[in-house]
Amino acid sequence: MNSFANRFSTNTTQLHSPEEDNFSDATWGSQAGFGNIAMGVPTFSIPDVADPTSFLQLHTDDHADPNCRIKIQHGTTTLAFRFQGGVIVAVDSRATAGSYVASGTVKKVIEINPYLLGTMAGGAADCQYWETYLGMHCRLHELRNRERISVSAASKYLSNLVYSYKGMGLSMGTMICGWDKTGPAVFYVDSDGTRLKGDLFSVGSGSTFAYGVLDQGYRWDLTDAEAQELGRRSIYAAGHRDAFSGNSCNLYHVKEDGWHFIGNYDISKLHYDGPGDVPGAPEGGYGYDIRVEGLSSANPPEAAASA
Amino acid sequence: MTQRPQQHSFNPYTENGGTILAIAGADFSVIAGDTRQSEGYSIQTRYAPKVFRLTDKAVLAVNGFAADGNMFVKKVRQRLEWYRHAHSKDMPIRAIARLIQTMLYARRFFPYYVYNILGGIEEDGTGAVYSFDPVGSYEREACRAAGAAQSLMQPFLDNQIYFKNQTPAPGTSFPQHLPLNTVLSLVIDSFTGATERHIEVGDSLEMYVVLARESPSIQALQNIVGIQERTSTADGERIFVIRRDLKKD
Amino acid sequence: MSIMEYNGGSVVAMVGKDCVAIASDLRLGNQALGISSNFQKIFPITDRIYLGLPGLATDVTTLRERFRFRVNMYTIKEEREIEPETFAHLVSSTLYEHRFGPYFVEPVMAGLSKTPSGGVKPFIAATDLIGCLNFAKDFVVAGTASSKLYGVAEGLWEPDLEAEDLFETISQTLLNAVDRDAYSGWGCIVHVITKDKVVTRTLKGRMD
Repeated sequence: MNSFANRFSTNTTQLHSPEEDNFSDATWGSQAGFGNIAMGVPTFSIPDVADPTSFLQLHTDDHADPNCRIKIQHGTTTLAFRFQGGVIVAVDSRATAGSYVASGTVKKVIEINPYLLGTMAGGAADCQYWETYLGMHCRLHELRNRERISVSAASKYLSNLVYSYKGMGLSMGTMICGWDKTGPAVFYVDSDGTRLKGDLFSVGSGSTFAYGVLDQGYRWDLTDAEAQELGRRSIYAAGHRDAFSGNSCNLYHVKEDGWHFIGNYDISKLHYDGPGDVPGAPEGGYGYDIRVEGLSSANPPEAAASA
Repeated sequence: MTQRPQQHSFNPYTENGGTILAIAGADFSVIAGDTRQSEGYSIQTRYAPKVFRLTDKAVLAVNGFAADGNMFVKKVRQRLEWYRHAHSKDMPIRAIARLIQTMLYARRFFPYYVYNILGGIEEDGTGAVYSFDPVGSYEREACRAAGAAQSLMQPFLDNQIYFKNQTPAPGTSFPQHLPLNTVLSLVIDSFTGATERHIEVGDSLEMYVVLARESPSIQALQNIVGIQERTSTADGERIFVIRRDLKKD
Repeated sequence: MSIMEYNGGSVVAMVGKDCVAIASDLRLGNQALGISSNFQKIFPITDRIYLGLPGLATDVTTLRERFRFRVNMYTIKEEREIEPETFAHLVSSTLYEHRFGPYFVEPVMAGLSKTPSGGVKPFIAATDLIGCLNFAKDFVVAGTASSKLYGVAEGLWEPDLEAEDLFETISQTLLNAVDRDAYSGWGCIVHVITKDKVVTRTLKGRMD
C-alpha cells in the first residue's frame, strides 16, 4: 500500500504540486477544490514517516483508541431498500465524536444529482468528499455519452476509487441508490472495496436495530405509503435503542423521475406522538410505553386501578 | 545496563486549548473566540487571536492545534486573494466553505488538527455559520461551539437559541431569530460560564460581528464600549470587533 | 472504552432558597445499546437526604445496599437520624476503604440539615470515585454528561431560587445536557426537597 502513498506523496518530483508553483493553476481559481479532473485524482500529502497508515490510525482512529486527539465525526444509521415503487432511503441525523453528540442535524443523504442518492456512514468527510467527486464524474459521463449514468456504473466508479486507497484509513459505508434503465437499484459500497447489489441494506452502528424492523416488514409489493412508513419506523427503532443514532429521520423516495424528499421527522416526537398526518402512519406514538399504556400489568388501565 | 528497543514516534500535534463560537442571525453573524493559548497546565500566551477576518463578509475561527490553525488561515487567505485577482470579486461564503472542505481533505492522511467555524453573510443577505471537522466534513448551521469547552457551551446554546426542551406559553411561539444584543449577551455569558469551569478558557474574549447590507441591527451596536470597525470595502456589509476581558485564573 | 461510560448515566444537584433539588436521567445501557429507560439512580437515605449514584450499574446497586446498612446501623446506635454532612463523610470513608480497587461511581448528595434555631440549611456534596469530598455552594454534577451539565448549570443557575424556580432550572439543566450526551438520557427524574415535603417529578425527555 505504501506504493500508493509514494504516488501521492508531495516528496516526488513527477507529480504537479499546486502549493509550490508560484503561478499554478490553483491561482486561477478554476482549479480550486477538486481540481482539474483531467489531471487525475486530487493529490494528497502524506507525512514523511515509515508507516503513514499507522501514523493516521494513531492520531485519528477512535475505535482503537478513544482518547486519540483528532475525533473525526462518525455517521450512524442509514438504510435503503428497493421495492415496486422505487427506492426508499432513510437515515438518522446524529453525529458523535466519542460520547459527545456533536450534531443532531447532519445531512446523511448526499444528493449526488437529481436522480442519484448516496448515504453517509462511517467518516462524514470521506463520504461527503468522495460522493461530491462522484457527482462530478457522473456529469462528465452524461456529457460524454449523452445519456444518464447507470447506478451500477456510478457505484463501480466510487468503489474502484476507494479501493485505490484501501488500507490507508478511509472509513466509508455508503449506499448508492437510483432509478436507471434496469429499474430501481441499490448498491452498497464501502471503503474495504466491497460493492454489492441488493434489495435491502442498512449500514451503521444502529443497523442491527433497523434490520430487525426492516426484515419483518419488507415485501416487494409494498405501497408507497407503506414503504415510507417502514423506512421511518426502522430508523426510529435504531435511533431509540442505539446511543449513537437519533435526533431526526430524513426520508427520501427515489422514483423513475428522480428522488423526492419526503420529510424530516424528529425521532423523539415519533416516540411520543408518531409521524402525524402522513399516509401509511399508525395513530399515536411508536414508543413501547406509549403503545402499551393501560394494557399491561405495569401500567394498568385507570378503571382497574380504582376498582 | 541492558539496551531496550527504542521506539521513536513522530508526534507533530499538540492541543492549545481555547474555545470558539459562532451564531447566525437573520441578517448578522457573530463569531467569537477566547484568546488564551495553553499547553497542558501552562499558559503560552494570554493573547493569541483565534478569529480572523477573511473578507468583509466572512470570518474564520480556528481552534485545536494553533500552529496548524494559523497556517491554515494563511493558506485560506492566499487562495482568497488568488480568487480575487482572477475574478475581480470576493469569494461568496458558500464557496469559501466548499474551498475549506477541499483544502482540509487534501490533508486527509496527515490532517490539520483544526476545528474550523466559518461565519458571515450569504449572498442572499442572511447570516450563515459553517462548521467543519478536521478532515473537511461540513454543514451549515445556526449556532456552533467548538474547542475545549464545546461540551459546556453547546447545550446551553441549544437551550437559549433553539429553545430546546422548552414549550412556549399557550398562544405564543418562540422567535425564529434572536436580535443582535441578545445574541451578544448569550455569547458573553457562554464564555464567562466556560471560563469558570474549564481551565483552558479565559483571559479575554474577541467577538467579530458581521452585518448584512443596511441591516437594522446596526442600532444595537451604537452603544457598545470599545467597538472597532474593520470594514474595508464599500459593498455594504460591515464587520466589527468587540473585545472583553475574561477571568485570568 | 472507560468503565465509567459502560452503563452511562448522569446526576446533578442544586441549592436553592431553603430547598435543594437532585435530578438524574433514567438510562441504563450496555455501551451503545440502551436497555432500560427506568433505571433508578437516586435513592432516599432519610426524608431529607437523597443520594445520586451515577456510574457502573452493579456498583450503584451494591452501594445503595451498603449505605442502607450503614445508615441503619448509625440510626440504631445514635438513636437519631443522620445529618447530611455526616452522611457525606460516611460516603467518603466507605469509598476510600476501596482505595486500590474502587467502586466505579461518583456519588452526589443533596439534603437539608437542621440548624440550631429549628430551620433548615440546604446542603449538597459530591465525591469522586475514591471519596474526595466537594462541598459546593451552588451545584454539583457527575456522570457521563458532567461537562455538559457544568456548562448549562453555570449558565442557568443563580442563588436563592425558590422551589418551583429551582425545579425549572435543574430540569432545563439536565434535559439539555443529556441531549448532548450519547450515554445519558431516555427520561429524567427530579426530586425537590423542601422543609415539609419532597416533590418527585418525571420529565418527558428525548427518547433517542
